[in-house]
Amino acid sequence: MSAPTRSQVLGLYTTMLRTSRTFASYNFRNYFLRRTKEKFRQYASETDPAKATQFFQEGVKELEVLRRAAVVNRLYEGPKLVVEKERLGRAAGFGGGGSGMEASVGGSGQPTGSQRVA
Amino acid sequence: MLTRQLAPLRLRRPLPSTSRSLGSIRTFVQPTPAYHASVQDVSPAPPPGPPAPEVEAHFTPSASMLGFKLEVPRREESTLRPIYLDVQATAPMDPRVLDAMLPYYTDQYGNPHSRTHAYGWEAEKAVEVARKHVADLIGAEDKDIIFTSGATESNNMIIKGVARFHKDKKNHIITTQTEHKCVLDSCRKLQEEGFEVTYLPVQENGIIRLSDLAQAIRPTTSLVSIMAVNNETGVIQPLKEIGALVKSHRGVYFHSDCAQAVGKIPLDVNDAQIDLMSISGHKIYGPKGVGAAYVRRRPRVRLEPILSGGGQERGLRSGTLPAPLIVGLGEACSLAQREMASDHARVSALSNRLIHGITSQVSHIVRNGAASGYPGCVNLSFSYVEGESLLMALKDVALSSGSACTSASLEPSYVLRALGAAEDMAHSSLRFGIGRFTTEEEIDFVVQRIVSVVNKLRDMSPLWEMVQEGIDISTIDWTQH
Repeated sequence: MSAPTRSQVLGLYTTMLRTSRTFASYNFRNYFLRRTKEKFRQYASETDPAKATQFFQEGVKELEVLRRAAVVNRLYEGPKLVVEKERLGRAAGFGGGGSGMEASVGGSGQPTGSQRVA
Repeated sequence: MLTRQLAPLRLRRPLPSTSRSLGSIRTFVQPTPAYHASVQDVSPAPPPGPPAPEVEAHFTPSASMLGFKLEVPRREESTLRPIYLDVQATAPMDPRVLDAMLPYYTDQYGNPHSRTHAYGWEAEKAVEVARKHVADLIGAEDKDIIFTSGATESNNMIIKGVARFHKDKKNHIITTQTEHKCVLDSCRKLQEEGFEVTYLPVQENGIIRLSDLAQAIRPTTSLVSIMAVNNETGVIQPLKEIGALVKSHRGVYFHSDCAQAVGKIPLDVNDAQIDLMSISGHKIYGPKGVGAAYVRRRPRVRLEPILSGGGQERGLRSGTLPAPLIVGLGEACSLAQREMASDHARVSALSNRLIHGITSQVSHIVRNGAASGYPGCVNLSFSYVEGESLLMALKDVALSSGSACTSASLEPSYVLRALGAAEDMAHSSLRFGIGRFTTEEEIDFVVQRIVSVVNKLRDMSPLWEMVQEGIDISTIDWTQH
């Protein structure tokens, strides 16, 4: 196989980013987005055609792995992380979104105690 | 005083129909449900009644249901999962590892020891590829790797095995005070059997003194066991210097528990002259329930096996190899090798962000262990705050005050005590574990939560008030009445 063309590499890059976005888990999604960007940025300075070919072939293989892994990850999707809700709340403009959690942290054990002491 | 005010409070409360108040009391003591660790308010389920109208509308019974009622699980209220910052306890399995394992859980189910058919051959081939990945990661030869059920088994097998094999001529073992529980307990067991064990002290930064080790080695010493990266403080021991020192004595073997080090810092068994090494799968984003032991063959290290049976794994660990788990461990090692540099840079950056974020906003914080340790394990002590109450208040961050094995007891960590930390500081410690999948956003969230909770707890603490007034607490004689 000859060295991949620019459009082939760009196509692989966008597909990998798109696949990474389909992970249900916040941590995995962000990790694969970040690593894909990092790897392709390193590749951008690659001039050796043999290495470019190797990079492209490994990328194609990894894309297949990511595709399957993302499907499995979506099948067993868990609840969202605390940081995800925060962002959601801000974007959608729910003001009181986090209040339940905040209240339960301070609300159940501590406040009556401090009133009693005072 | 307290009771008198409690009584009217209790009376004012509405009687047991009262789901709300019950729920709010229970929030703190209720253990997190086993199914999913999540931040949630544990309020009792509403009494069974007619299903909500939307549910009924959703499942209109059809003729094919034959009159049976469909059980509709009640939709869980939206719960959120806490941030995971406890990678030293266990790390999430990398999705790429799971993808490598799945074929061996579904289609390729052969026993790797079956020699007579293709099912066995394909499983055996996969196991050997995995063995090569593990060996490459630590600079060993394939055949030196023995698969076990985890680092605890590896440690037990190696320490007891080497000691018992040489018990006719040698009866002395050296280890350190900050080792993992399974190493210390194996040594204690050997003490009961009549062996002598030296537990080396560590300096304030958590690193052993080489002169102590040199003095401790006797003609009867058979094994020196010193861990690479400490699981509570992240302190890295100078394995290369230790290896050179140990190997200057004939017939003394050097074992290193590298469960927290493999795949995170570069290791080479020949470079550090390590004879035996313990490796864990689930600390390097691999599956739980699998690990490996490195047992050098040239020059040969001999040990007495714990398990007797079919003689698999050079006779050292009988039992059918779990092919899918081993494939997972191999894939995790191969990923760790490829990603080590990038992971390390990333973890260092996040670790600095965390330490800087907390120390710039809160005072009186001590970092336990040398700062030159593994950056993914940050152990901080917050003065005038009790560690357990800190953990309780930080419901949306999954942290631990030390090792997962000992966190059930309220005893302060023996590792921190060995470092010379005062009892109160050992009690107020938190361990932050940063891994491959941690993000900046999570770190910022944790910093913000820690700062607010520590400030809140300190505001309630009379000790903190006294410190603010300039009273030196250590000079107070508390027992005086």
